[in-house]
Amino acid sequence: MKFIYSLQSEWLKTKRSAASWLSLIGGFFVPIIYLITFLKEKTSINSYYPFANIWKQLLLSMWGNMAMFLLPMGVILASSLITQMEFKNNTWKQLNTTPQSYTTIFLAKFSVIMLMMMKFFLFFNIGIFTSGIIPSLIFDHHLPMMPVPVLFFIKVNAKLFLSCLPIIAIQYLISLKFKNFLVAIGVGLLGLIGSLIGLGWKYIYLSPYSYPASLVAGPKDQINPQISAVVYTLVLMAISYYLFISKKEKG
Amino acid sequence: MYSIETKNITYNFSPNETVLDNINLQIPEGSIYGFLGPNGAGKTTTLRLILGLLKKQKGSISIFDKNFDKNRIEILKNIGSLIESPSIYAHLTATENLILLRKIYQCPKERVAEVLEIVGLSQTGKKKAGKFSLGMKQRLSIAIALLHKPNLLILDEPTNGLDPNGILEVRELLKKINLEQKITVVISSHLLAEIEKLVTHVGIINKGKLLFQGTLEDLHKMQNQSSSVCIETNNPEKSMKLISDLNLSSSLQNGQLMIPNIDKHQIAKLNKSLVENNIEVYQLALIKNDLESIFMDMTKN
Repeated sequence: MKFIYSLQSEWLKTKRSAASWLSLIGGFFVPIIYLITFLKEKTSINSYYPFANIWKQLLLSMWGNMAMFLLPMGVILASSLITQMEFKNNTWKQLNTTPQSYTTIFLAKFSVIMLMMMKFFLFFNIGIFTSGIIPSLIFDHHLPMMPVPVLFFIKVNAKLFLSCLPIIAIQYLISLKFKNFLVAIGVGLLGLIGSLIGLGWKYIYLSPYSYPASLVAGPKDQINPQISAVVYTLVLMAISYYLFISKKEKG
Repeated sequence: MYSIETKNITYNFSPNETVLDNINLQIPEGSIYGFLGPNGAGKTTTLRLILGLLKKQKGSISIFDKNFDKNRIEILKNIGSLIESPSIYAHLTATENLILLRKIYQCPKERVAEVLEIVGLSQTGKKKAGKFSLGMKQRLSIAIALLHKPNLLILDEPTNGLDPNGILEVRELLKKINLEQKITVVISSHLLAEIEKLVTHVGIINKGKLLFQGTLEDLHKMQNQSSSVCIETNNPEKSMKLISDLNLSSSLQNGQLMIPNIDKHQIAKLNKSLVENNIEVYQLALIKNDLESIFMDMTKN
């Protein structure tokens, strides 16, 4: 039960925070652009290529646009903003004198980043459905012609979610270690741009920032990217945890 | 029983810089302990070590008779603290700041409104804490420290940023909770005058060394012991000899004799001796050192 209270407390901190706004705006940004394009061109997803599921086409098209840059950039920003909140408000000393174990504090904060990511994924998927349904109702006067491939949606979302984990883990590590917000953002941005430039390299999986873009445009004959992402995340989290609990100054 | 007891706490930020040198604090349960020292004396470092915010290097810390390292969580359940500048989430309101801590301490919902009322922040409504004045932020930090009804309050310079009225209010509040709820209060300050009217016990630290520890009464005794007398007579030279016959030391300053560390019985004896030796005494004035000057003397040396 203790962990739940800590998690609730950490979640409350995100209320009206920049990370919270980012998940909302970031989640609906691409779907709104698609919606506007449909409305402007007076068309809907019913006009997509009819020999494949139109929902699948919409989903892959939108995620394709997101995964290359916007998704990893959003993850870098949100992870760093949530973690750095304590430095920014000078509250590490307050948090570390509450009756919680350091492990609980570490895990609760990481879980909140994960929850924020889930919130973003939820908004993005709502956005996908909205931009598929509204133009169809307006211009075709009925719902999209094909059924929603629920399992396919879950599979794609899960893969993308897993691909974000190494970025969350590395940003979490940097943001816990360095007080200056620019360090976390700078490293994140450099890592992301470097990964995009080197996306064709066969060892690109060594960069934690490469995973979302690799799903769209990376080399296909490499090791299983999902397993690699999880292993990478676990290793980074272990290092992060060690650095966190062995910190000499806790606020 | 001591609420806090430290044994030989020593701390170095670097091998050549000893910040704390064998600090042995003994803070009795139910006391208001004034932890005094000039800026940079080691007060905040000591308090941060007590709260586990700094990794201990040498010595031991017991709180409520329990070893801090082994009982950290249990001990922290009963401590409210405010270390240096306010620790609050600027994008949240005062109530939201308290609610998120209420989740951890699992105290009753009503307690949030209660502590806001105590520190006079009930009317802040939807105003974000980041828009508060420094004094309001400080009050909110005190509310946070009081939220879970702790047995021990550790406040590091809590009146920083408060106006004179605010200082008075905080002083009264601390007196009240100490008296009514038997909460032990540790309050640090660099001004003795500021906490002299509040504390029951005093610890004076300078350059990492604990120079004095005891009750306020002990400090007052020290004040009386360090009284001096100023005497003006028609024959200072002869007077000096008579003073020395009484095993007292004196110095001549602007035609007046200054006699340090003299008690009231010695003053009476001296006066009698002067009169019996036909010396005209024009003035015999007792000069009492105030606590502030004792503090200044201690911390200067």
